[in-house]
Amino acid sequence: MEPKQLIKIATKSLSVNRSRSFLTALGVIIGVASVILLVSVGSGLKDFITGQMQDMGSNLIMIVPGDIDIEGAGAGGEAASGAFSSVTVSKLELSDAQEIERSLPQIKDTAAMVMAPGLASYKSESFSGQVIGTTQNYVNIRNSEFEKGSFFTQSEVNSGRKVAVLGYSIAEELFGSQDPVGEKIKVGDYRYLIIGVMKEQGGQGSLTSDDKIFVPITTAQRQFGIDNISLIFTQVNSSDEVTSTIPLIEEVMLRRHDEEDFTVIDQKEILSTVSAILDTLTIALGGIAAISLLVGGIGIMNIMLVSVTERTREIGLRKALGATPEVILTQFLIEAVFLSVGGGIIGILLGSGGAILLNNFIPMAITAWSVILAFAVSAGVGIIFGIAPARRASLLSPIEALRYE
Amino acid sequence: MAKTKNILNLENVSKIYQMDGVSVKALDNVTLTITEGDFVSIIGPSGSGKSTMMHIVGCLDTPTSGKVFLDGQEVSQMSERQLAQVRNKKIGFVFQQFNLLPRTSALENVSLPLLYNGTPSSQIPQKAAEVLGKVGLGERLGHHPNQLSGGQQQRVAIARALVTDPSIILADEPTGNLDSKSGVEIMDIFKRLHHQGRTIILVTHDDEIADQAQRIIRLRDGKVIN
Repeated sequence: MEPKQLIKIATKSLSVNRSRSFLTALGVIIGVASVILLVSVGSGLKDFITGQMQDMGSNLIMIVPGDIDIEGAGAGGEAASGAFSSVTVSKLELSDAQEIERSLPQIKDTAAMVMAPGLASYKSESFSGQVIGTTQNYVNIRNSEFEKGSFFTQSEVNSGRKVAVLGYSIAEELFGSQDPVGEKIKVGDYRYLIIGVMKEQGGQGSLTSDDKIFVPITTAQRQFGIDNISLIFTQVNSSDEVTSTIPLIEEVMLRRHDEEDFTVIDQKEILSTVSAILDTLTIALGGIAAISLLVGGIGIMNIMLVSVTERTREIGLRKALGATPEVILTQFLIEAVFLSVGGGIIGILLGSGGAILLNNFIPMAITAWSVILAFAVSAGVGIIFGIAPARRASLLSPIEALRYE
Repeated sequence: MAKTKNILNLENVSKIYQMDGVSVKALDNVTLTITEGDFVSIIGPSGSGKSTMMHIVGCLDTPTSGKVFLDGQEVSQMSERQLAQVRNKKIGFVFQQFNLLPRTSALENVSLPLLYNGTPSSQIPQKAAEVLGKVGLGERLGHHPNQLSGGQQQRVAIARALVTDPSIILADEPTGNLDSKSGVEIMDIFKRLHHQGRTIILVTHDDEIADQAQRIIRLRDGKVIN
């Protein structure tokens, strides 16, 4: 029997039951589309975050509170998540930052930071943002650009003045088209004079400046009653010096601290840690979607089994007219594979199309491996879940089948 | 001399079924010969073994003991796969229920046996159309079974049986589901085929139908009684 004719018989059976074929394939369509979509969300997020971190510059070193095992973090997400949580009580001090900058000549700039949530209000408008207390060099390290005005100076930091620089969204929210510079906003029970507005940066989370209120670190420590600081940023002269500078910073820090209650990491380490977390997230998302693909496959098996029962007489007739058991087996297998592969192709189109559309709102990255994997799994699902019904059909006795009502 | 060629030989054929541990002898040591060009009816009440006889003659089943020769070839020991190929080449089935594929045109229904015997795809529609023309349905090639009357559906089924040019046409109560007028038409087609030299075996419980054949084989309790 020609393979072309076998395929013709199978496609004919599928098209005779068009709506049932479509509904059966729908499970696979949804499964494949969701694998592609969710993996795109995960890898899009990873591309976005690592991209933003790379924008920070490769000559950056951070000192964070707590003794974190960064080596272990690269391998799995669990230890890595500790790097960004604030479960450890910070023992870092403002003077640590000053000491590092003073004693190491290869360090260009140092900025210390404290963070606290704060509700900013101006007249009847209010905005819930994050207050960042920092030092004057913050703008140099982050390459911040200004829409209006400028950042605070060293003397304003030293004297703990109540001045603030607003992120772009917060300024827009509170002031609209009005110029905020020179106005005063209220944060908690402090009134800050606005001296500058940052340019729009885009993005979300801790990496964007858009929803932050920047104030001198000394002022923030006083207002929120914080003695320690959350983070020290340092920038070395060139990225070649990063690796050699880390132990020197550790040395300076150890001289000032009794134990290793801090961790010195560079951007590369943070990147690999973040990547590890986001890879785990992507795999988890893909795994959840893969379950729906499996359910789709079981759906195919279910319908094919029902179909074998429903078409018992047809199978009996085909056998009486000369179809061998192998031919019947192949026919039903081809039907199952066509349903799953057809569903897989439609799913790929829908998933990729959806990812491209959603890319306008959230970062998405379609990955080749997810498309190939989803397609291979859907085809495999068709074969595996098609075998049982096809075997049942091929083993039917033609006499019993023809007699079946 | 072609007239005397034996197309079907049953030698001491028995078929025993096991039902709930009890052996039931459906065919009991049956020996008979059908020659080429015969128009034979097999008649008997229900339980007489005529269905079993039809299954064995139609190569749908093999006997428990005894030998069956079809067109000189022993079929009683064949595997399911070999039997399928013999059915395709040598037997043309016509059923009481027509057994046409629904939502499938008359032409495609008649094409079905050709799909299973390696006929090149390019020749199939032409052959199927030709046979449909012979049963008077040349104008209805594209009609689906639900657009045809019972008699027309049975004619499609006859065309399907003829399309492989089989050694035997095996009809199981072919008029059982038809009104009397359509029944007469179908019997006329069988008579015409007989005159053209076809070997026809008609299984029925109806004496009136059986009498129209050239030869009658009566079965009772698994035995040939005439």
